[in-house]
Amino acid sequence: MYLLEHDAKELLARYQIHVPPGKLVSDLDTSGNLPPGPWIVKGQITAGGRGKAGIIKKATTAQEIIEHTKAILGKVVKNRRVDTVRVEQQVAGATEAYISLMIDAAAAGVRVIMAAEGGMDIEALPKDAIRSAVAAPTVDAITRCVQALAASFEGAKARALADAGAKLASAFMASEAMLIEINPLFVKSDGTWIAGDAKFVTDDGALERQDDTRAMLNARTAAYPEAALKLEHGCDYVVVDPEGELGLLTTGAGLSMMLIDELRAVGLKPYNFLDVRSGGLRGETARLAKVLKWISAGPNVKVMLINIFAGITELGEFSRLLVSALSEAPELKVPVVARLVGNGLPAAREVLSAAGIPLYADLDEALAEVKKHLSGNQP
Amino acid sequence: MINPRLTKNTPVIIQGISGRAGRLHSRLMKEYGTNLVAGISSRKAVSEINGVPLFTDCATAVKATGATTSVALVGAFDLLAAIEEALAAGIRYIVTPTEGMPVHDALKAKRAVDAAGAIWVGASTPGMAIAGEVKLGFLPSDSLIPGPVGLMSKSGTLSYESGYRLAQRGMGTSVWIGVGGDAVKGVRYADLVPFYAQDEQTQALLIIGEIGGHEEEDFAAACIAHKFSKPVFALIAGRSAPEGVTMGHAGALVHGSHGTWNAKRLALEAAGATVFGSLNEMVDGVIRRLK
Repeated sequence: MYLLEHDAKELLARYQIHVPPGKLVSDLDTSGNLPPGPWIVKGQITAGGRGKAGIIKKATTAQEIIEHTKAILGKVVKNRRVDTVRVEQQVAGATEAYISLMIDAAAAGVRVIMAAEGGMDIEALPKDAIRSAVAAPTVDAITRCVQALAASFEGAKARALADAGAKLASAFMASEAMLIEINPLFVKSDGTWIAGDAKFVTDDGALERQDDTRAMLNARTAAYPEAALKLEHGCDYVVVDPEGELGLLTTGAGLSMMLIDELRAVGLKPYNFLDVRSGGLRGETARLAKVLKWISAGPNVKVMLINIFAGITELGEFSRLLVSALSEAPELKVPVVARLVGNGLPAAREVLSAAGIPLYADLDEALAEVKKHLSGNQP
Repeated sequence: MINPRLTKNTPVIIQGISGRAGRLHSRLMKEYGTNLVAGISSRKAVSEINGVPLFTDCATAVKATGATTSVALVGAFDLLAAIEEALAAGIRYIVTPTEGMPVHDALKAKRAVDAAGAIWVGASTPGMAIAGEVKLGFLPSDSLIPGPVGLMSKSGTLSYESGYRLAQRGMGTSVWIGVGGDAVKGVRYADLVPFYAQDEQTQALLIIGEIGGHEEEDFAAACIAHKFSKPVFALIAGRSAPEGVTMGHAGALVHGSHGTWNAKRLALEAAGATVFGSLNEMVDGVIRRLK
């Protein structure tokens, strides 16, 4: 789960990582409880590149805060609408450095990266400006790694990187992070430091035992729709194109992604990604009915395609659940086309035929049927 | 070299055999011909499940049966302990289909497996199989016929569909390894390049990949480093996935220019691989080249 910068900073502060005082604002009433200025108004989305997208602005008066907030809220950047801004005190009189800790999958460890410059994309820095090493996944090992890397810098920056890095090591391990990047890390001449920006990615798989992150998710489910949905419903659902015309009821992450790619390649507009986990429905319609309701919320959805390759799932049982779920989700008014392969196909054919749902074993034939509905012609 | 060429005689235990997945898949594996010698269940109330004798712990089961291999079908938060228990009992091959293993647990598991010199396939793996001999995990038998294609996949479903469509056209697989969709895992594509290079039954490799991470890129580098000379085909899912969103698999996440479809395509093509844009193109391409 990619945390909003505001949540990232709140979480980091619990591990004694210094962050500028700031407040999350979701409307234009910014009058109360702001830290002293001047300020920086930062649009909150779960993606990088915010500066380039024009949703980070400096402000010296309360009026400017309101103007910037007004301009930033509601903008859509990288397919995400900006619903909140963080109004934060500007940091003055400091130079910039870079530090990040991330999971290194190939090395089965934690990679520490540092640079004496910050504020820009780390990949834009020359290779010899970057120090990097992998540590074993323990606080002690990461701290030793941080100290060794920091020692190759000088003066205030060496002291600041070593101190910030040790605190980040604790935060990283305790919160079961995937990535924490502080860029820039503001460093003052006396070696004190403060985190200018924070990118924090946590492990969705650990959410059930990470109370702090789970509380953040529950407090702001709109900002983390995919993670919230997975935690609550046990399946993965992503609206990939809010204007999409084709709803998808699919299982398996890889096959579902590939289907979306192939649909787009032939000019169709899929609305959603879904890994419904058909093997884990356990004879209940609740998850399917929820999914059908979500798909029905797509304003331009004209048809729904079911694509299941049943390695293990019993298709007769799945089809019975599907037909019941459709009756529980009358919101879904669009025609349904099914493509099923695997265990229990004859039983599925009987159930779907009785429900008037056309069934194909060949994906290309199912898509030909789907296209009839998209072009507006009834078959 | 990692050698995944198990046989129908390889003695296999199932950790968590009394759970829902354990009961179903121990039956399916046994029907395929896998030599299941023991099931582990701490709540041992009966003496066998699907004709497989039960033990309360790995060490006793390994001592009694000489098992070398385990399939662990336990919950995500119990998986690290299950792997540690299997290693301590002397198990050499561990296959873990469980989805959702916490990443920090996977880091610890990977280090423990490496320290023991064992081989771990997973987590979040659909399983592995030597077609016609042995299957460990969930791979559907309809997709599994013996043939010349070495198959490695992050995804279960996309590999089932690929294997099925190839099998329908008479094209089978040699050694099929589901490396799994997690970011931190046991065996990775690159680890298996030396094995496939010398495996006589394997005439070509099919990589079924996904956006996120850099495993496909590492695989491409390993092909170049080992001068891998058999044809390599690749199908990569997630070309049109939005940035910063996890697409079902924990590892399928694009950040900025990292892990993108295009970066993977370029790396694979530079290593001489053919990257296909769709399942149909992949199946046609593999058949044309190998028939």
